[in-house]
Amino acid sequence: MRAITIFKAVTKNWMRSRSGLFFSILFPILLLLVFGAIFSNTGGSTNFNLYIQNLDRTTPGGNPSGLSAAFVDALNATKAFAITNVPPEENATSYVQKALGPLGGNIRILIISEGFQDDLLNGTLKVRVGISYSTLNISYQYFAPYLNDSQRIAFQQGLVQMQQYNESLPERKTSLTIMLDVSDQPAMIVRNIITSVANAFNYQLIGAENVIQFIQTPVTSTRLTNIDFYIPGVTAAFIMTNGVIGLTSNTSEFKRRGIIKRLSLTPLSKMDWIIGNILSQTLLNLLLTAMMLMLGWVIFNVRIIPDAFAILLIFLGSVMFSGIGMLLSGLVKDVEAASAIGNAIAFPMMFLSGTYFPLEIMPSYLQTFAKILPLTYFSEGLRYAMIYNYPEGTYVNIAIVAALAVGFIIVGSLVTKWKEK
Amino acid sequence: MEKPVVEVNSLIKQYGKLKAVDGISFKVNEGEVFAFLGPNGAGKTTTVEILECLRPLTDGSAKVFGYDVTKNADVKEIKKRIGVLPQDFSALEKLTVKENIDLIGDMYGQHLDVAKVIELLDLQDKTNERFENLSGGLKQRVGVAAALVNDPQLVFLDEPTTGLDPKARREVWAVITNLKKLQKTVFLTTHYMEEAQALADRIAIIDKGKIVLTGSPQELISEHGGLKVLIIRKGEKRVADILQEKYDNVTLDKSADVLVKVDDVNEMWQVMATLTEMKLNKEIEIQSPTIEDVFLKVVGGRITEEGELKQ
Repeated sequence: MRAITIFKAVTKNWMRSRSGLFFSILFPILLLLVFGAIFSNTGGSTNFNLYIQNLDRTTPGGNPSGLSAAFVDALNATKAFAITNVPPEENATSYVQKALGPLGGNIRILIISEGFQDDLLNGTLKVRVGISYSTLNISYQYFAPYLNDSQRIAFQQGLVQMQQYNESLPERKTSLTIMLDVSDQPAMIVRNIITSVANAFNYQLIGAENVIQFIQTPVTSTRLTNIDFYIPGVTAAFIMTNGVIGLTSNTSEFKRRGIIKRLSLTPLSKMDWIIGNILSQTLLNLLLTAMMLMLGWVIFNVRIIPDAFAILLIFLGSVMFSGIGMLLSGLVKDVEAASAIGNAIAFPMMFLSGTYFPLEIMPSYLQTFAKILPLTYFSEGLRYAMIYNYPEGTYVNIAIVAALAVGFIIVGSLVTKWKEK
Repeated sequence: MEKPVVEVNSLIKQYGKLKAVDGISFKVNEGEVFAFLGPNGAGKTTTVEILECLRPLTDGSAKVFGYDVTKNADVKEIKKRIGVLPQDFSALEKLTVKENIDLIGDMYGQHLDVAKVIELLDLQDKTNERFENLSGGLKQRVGVAAALVNDPQLVFLDEPTTGLDPKARREVWAVITNLKKLQKTVFLTTHYMEEAQALADRIAIIDKGKIVLTGSPQELISEHGGLKVLIIRKGEKRVADILQEKYDNVTLDKSADVLVKVDDVNEMWQVMATLTEMKLNKEIEIQSPTIEDVFLKVVGGRITEEGELKQ
């Protein structure tokens, strides 16, 4: 009963604090709006700036050759690029630098070299003849036992002539020059898109068709958008900061101002105090999750609905991060240091636990490090529960978070001082 | 018959080599206002916090209402029966006066009607005011209200007026006087001499962890306060010279006031008679010794406004 009184008082005190409300609820919501704007595709498609200098002209200074123009059209058709043409007489790098202006930007230049069309046609012819020869040769091996001598000789002569013709054709390959800045993070994506378009172009010219067909099937039962995937991550991250930064700072402030000392002079037990704070954190985090989801439903049309496991995880996560908060505030004496340590732990954990960036893109040692971070299991569990509908994954993460919650609460309560020295 | 509610025997509290409390023994009787008077670091708060079961003792014994502060089962009984205004009292800033007193009250099985406690402390106008918006004096009154909400038999007030302006200090004094009328036993710690003298039935002067003197203010003053002083304002050297011929303890201070220390009332009348013969038209003042004089005599220093001992 005393724990409920503490829960009510601490929650009321927090809800009336503007800074508390801002950092616990409004700041996460603002961040969600920013993420939503970036990832929900409501603000238009992603366009990478790309400068193209087409040097393959029908006549010097004339129109672009048919195939080079078709290649640029194919790049345009991907809708991945905002293409700017660089006049052929200009130095491409200087032109782009000048075009980007004093504030700069990412230099991405594709130069289509002179002779692109001719090289492509000749190179394509050699490839086609080569493929035909290879096909006929295989057919001959298969049908030879059924042919008479004169038919075999005629076939063999034909194959020899075809091979000789192919060898007489010059090795012609055309090249595309891609100039990318090493500091440009999306450069790899840009290069991959251009390469894919070039490959598709190659196939079209030799008349080949893809025999591998890609069938994309969503792994989730409902059709979800990018922002659906970010909501559990952002929610998990802020449930973590509410405990590790919020509770640490609050408890240290209560300690500094003698409020904990005053309460410890009454029959209130340390356990009641801890339970009251955990309940308050749980309510705050459920409120935060509800607001994030409601905002997602209304603004970004997200479809995820938390089930009982997600709510259980939020409770366990609140307990776990409250335990960490209690531990930190118990170990650190002054408010400023508690806040600094809370931040020093929370921010790296936020970015290294796969809440904002997938763990796969991180170096292997950071992936290993992520495995010791409690937030990794919490956010993963929330994703499993809220998005993937994958009970086994949810159970495992619930078990890990529950074990960590018990551990941190025990250690946190041990270092919470209820008596002076 | 005096009934002790606090009994302390040979109490020691040691931090490493430092003895914060060095073998003190005293009793606090039911219904009295008992003051611990001493400078910062004398061991006042440490002693009180041991009695409040907030701090363990190193050696000796301490009992409150007969319950041992070192036994867990007894601690619960003690906490039910005491009210505490800790040093630098604070409460939840965003909660109102009533909510904060309610919070403390709800920690006890039974408590007084919060509205009545608020009325007792004359805080009715501030009932719904947030704690953060109160003045220092009002915050202390909320602290006292919180200390009284469980209707305790013994109230600890640890430095209740430190940092308050004179007006707020007087307000808190009035509250403490009222507690006495309510027959509460009050254990007060202070470094203000005037406060101890005005409020306490008995004073224990504590310095460097030891109790130097215990007694009622009157006893302490009469036994250790020294002589009364007759002050002849602007008496100047001529008067001082005449009086010095007849009396021993006559001095002239920097303000040209003549100070005559007298042993008793007879001697005082003799001095007055001499002054009448001289047909002096000067302002005369009789100054009685105070607890400050007692403290100066037994400790050998004065306590500054901030609570530091000045030798």
